Formats: sequence, C-alpha cells, structure tokens
Amino acid sequence: MIPHIMVQAVLQQSVSGLYTDLVTRPTGRAVRENIERELPPGTIAVMDFTGVGCLDYSCADEIVAKLVRDKVKVLLLRGLTDSHRDAIEPVLAGAGLAVLCERADGVLEGLGATGPAPALLDELIQRRLAARHPGGSIRFTAA
Amino acid sequence: MTRLVDVPAQFDDRSFDQFAGAFSHALADGGRLLFDAHAAEWASPYGLVGLLAAGQAARAAGADAPLLTVPTTPDVLSYWVRAGFFSAAKDLFEIHGRVPRGKPAADSDVLLPVTAVRAAEDVHEVVGHIQQRATAILSSELGIDPKATMGFAMALSESCQNIVEHAGTGGWVAVQAYNWRRKLARRVVVIAVADAGVGFRHSLEPTQAKRFGERWGDAAALEAALIQGVSRFRDPGRGQGLAGIRRYLARWEGKVAIRSGTARIAIVPRWDDDVPLKDGLPSFPGSQVLLIIPEQASGGGPSKQ
Repeated sequence: MIPHIMVQAVLQQSVSGLYTDLVTRPTGRAVRENIERELPPGTIAVMDFTGVGCLDYSCADEIVAKLVRDKVKVLLLRGLTDSHRDAIEPVLAGAGLAVLCERADGVLEGLGATGPAPALLDELIQRRLAARHPGGSIRFTAA
Repeated sequence: MTRLVDVPAQFDDRSFDQFAGAFSHALADGGRLLFDAHAAEWASPYGLVGLLAAGQAARAAGADAPLLTVPTTPDVLSYWVRAGFFSAAKDLFEIHGRVPRGKPAADSDVLLPVTAVRAAEDVHEVVGHIQQRATAILSSELGIDPKATMGFAMALSESCQNIVEHAGTGGWVAVQAYNWRRKLARRVVVIAVADAGVGFRHSLEPTQAKRFGERWGDAAALEAALIQGVSRFRDPGRGQGLAGIRRYLARWEGKVAIRSGTARIAIVPRWDDDVPLKDGLPSFPGSQVLLIIPEQASGGGPSKQ
C-alpha cells in the first residue's frame, strides 16, 4: 500500500491557525514531522498538494527536499500549481535531488536535478506502479 | 539631554544614509532621542519601517522612549496613518503632535500596512493578506501574469523570514504600489522590511568570518548572503530564501537592496543606476530590505533568468 499524503490536511493538523499557505521553516518542519511519523524509511509515497496556496522556498526545502534526502525512496507529487513547481524545482536541483511529478494529463516527469529522475521512473516501472505507454510517456498505475 | 535626529523631507532608501548618519551620531552622544518628522513631505515604505527600526534601537539603548514629532502637512500625516505607521509607532515613541484617527484604507495603494513581524504566525498573516490585496494590482496595473502573484507572496514570505530566523528581535514589513515618476515613470510595487536586530555580519560571523579573513565585515556578509547564498545554519538546504527572491526579481526586472550595519548591497536592474555594493556607510542596526517590482513594459513578458 502506497501512502498518500494530503498536504493541506496535514498542514491543518500541524499548525494552530487555519492556514492554506505552506510558508516559514517552523511550519514546514511541523508538517514534515507529522508526515514522517506515518512513513517507514525507504518507502514510495504520493504527496498531493491540492488546496495548498503559497508554497515558499523554505517550506519546499523543509518538507520535500528533506523527505527525499532522509526518508523516502521515491516521492511522487501531484496537484502542483506552476508556483509550487517554481518553489520546489530549484530547491531540489540545488541539492542534486529529484522527485516525480504527475502532470494534469497523468504523465509522470522528473522535477529537480535531471540526473536521478530516470532511476526514479525505472523504480516505479519495476515495481509495477507505473507503466510506459505508446509514445514513451510513463503514467502512474497504482491508484 | 535630548538629541535631535532629523527625518529627511523625502524619506526613502536614497535619503536613508543621511538619516542613519544623524541617528548614529545622536545615539553615540547619549541622552534621549527626538526624531523630528515635522517637515516630512513624503516617505516611502522603506522610510517608514526604517524609522520604526531606529525607534526600536533607540528604545533598546536608553531608558526613556524616544520622542517623535509628527509631520505637520495634513496629507503627509494622513498617508502615514493610512500606511499603518502610527499603529506600530505608538509602542516605540512618545508621539508629539495630533495624529488623526483612522485605519489603513482598503481601497488605497497600501497593499500591506506597516505590520509587525515577530514569529512565523505573523508571516502567515502577511502572506494571507497580500494574496487578497495584491493580485489585482500586480496583474492589472503592473502587467504581471496573475500566476506570478504567488511568486510575489513567496518573495514577501522569505523577506519576512529573515527577521524571524536571523534578527534576534522583531521587525516590520510594508507593501505599497505607487507611481515612480523619478526613475521609471511607471507604476511599481515596493516591499520594505526592516529590523534593528543583529544584522547580517553578526548572524554569519561564526560560520563565515574565517573564510573571508581580513575582508570580513558588513559588506562581505551581505555578499555572502545575497550573492553566494550562505546561511548561518549548517543545514545544506538553507540559504534558499534570498536566492529565490533574486530569481523572482530577475524574472520581472525587479530590484533588491539590503542594508545592514555599514554596507548596502543591491542587484541592480537595467532601469536603475544604483551601485551594487557600498561600504563605509553610517552605521545602522539590523537589516533593511527593499524589493521593487516595476510595471512591465507593454508587450513584454518575463525576462529570461
């Protein structure tokens, strides 16, 4: 069973105010620590950003980069807006890290450093969690 | 004995060094400070939050609250009220002069009135507020893609977090849109953030001073933070905030300038003639950050980074 993390819901559980924005290091740390409690090390996880407003660089680093660096084997992000990508991409690229991102059309692509992304896609295919479609695109198959 | 600190008639980032010089002399002389703003004709958000930082530093240095004489011109006084200056100033200064009652106007160009930033919760409030107010002005008046409003909120968030993470004290932020006749003959949105905390040199000294050797000082600290993206934290993910601000401003031909201690650094866009680095300025405590996003030239999209 692949853990599905609804980031907006975790944010609501992690901070006292009713915020929709993922901003500041302390907020990012609280959200990540909540997520980490439910995740075994080396796992594959899906993280859904639907409903999240502003995501700043500090939270992108505190949540996404640190989970990739220290906790998960493959992180698949969905529900990203362009501004979420703008925050996450340079943070990951600067650290030589990458995640997979599910586009609105279902196609998976790497986000962050270019080097690690192909191996992440191969990992999902080998585990039969993703499949290569005609034309070469790769889509997530696990619900 | 009371020492006088004149508030420049046109109080913005350009006249701030003059103000800082008067402030540092008066502070060194000892005694109670009187900030005289009676002749003020105009103040930018940078001037207003900088004045609060001076009040904060004066308050920290002496037993008595510093004095402040308010602008005598009704329009100027009215703007300072609408900008939220006096809501913050009443806790720092003994105010002399009649301040009209009022709140920051919702329909004004004051996108964010002067707002105290002490903790992460304050940054959440600031970011939430700015998204409601800024989207229309950024897209309709400045020609910035509505999707880029979130980038603006990110830049604002990271600017405020410098206070929470590094200043060791509280500070203030203000955001305003106005016509910048002097430089551009275009509309701009300005973010100004100021504190009277420890400043960049002190914050980075434990981890960076040795690396810079004899060059170490306020200018080197600003260069390390803004250009090299270093942070006082050893965590490899730190230092993202200022780098992100730079990327956002590069995309929209914006300007960032940071003053701390005796130095000031700026990433200067084509439309400005500011110098990239100034050292040996009059000393002023903490850090003062200025971000300017100009109206986009018609037909122009974002600049390549």
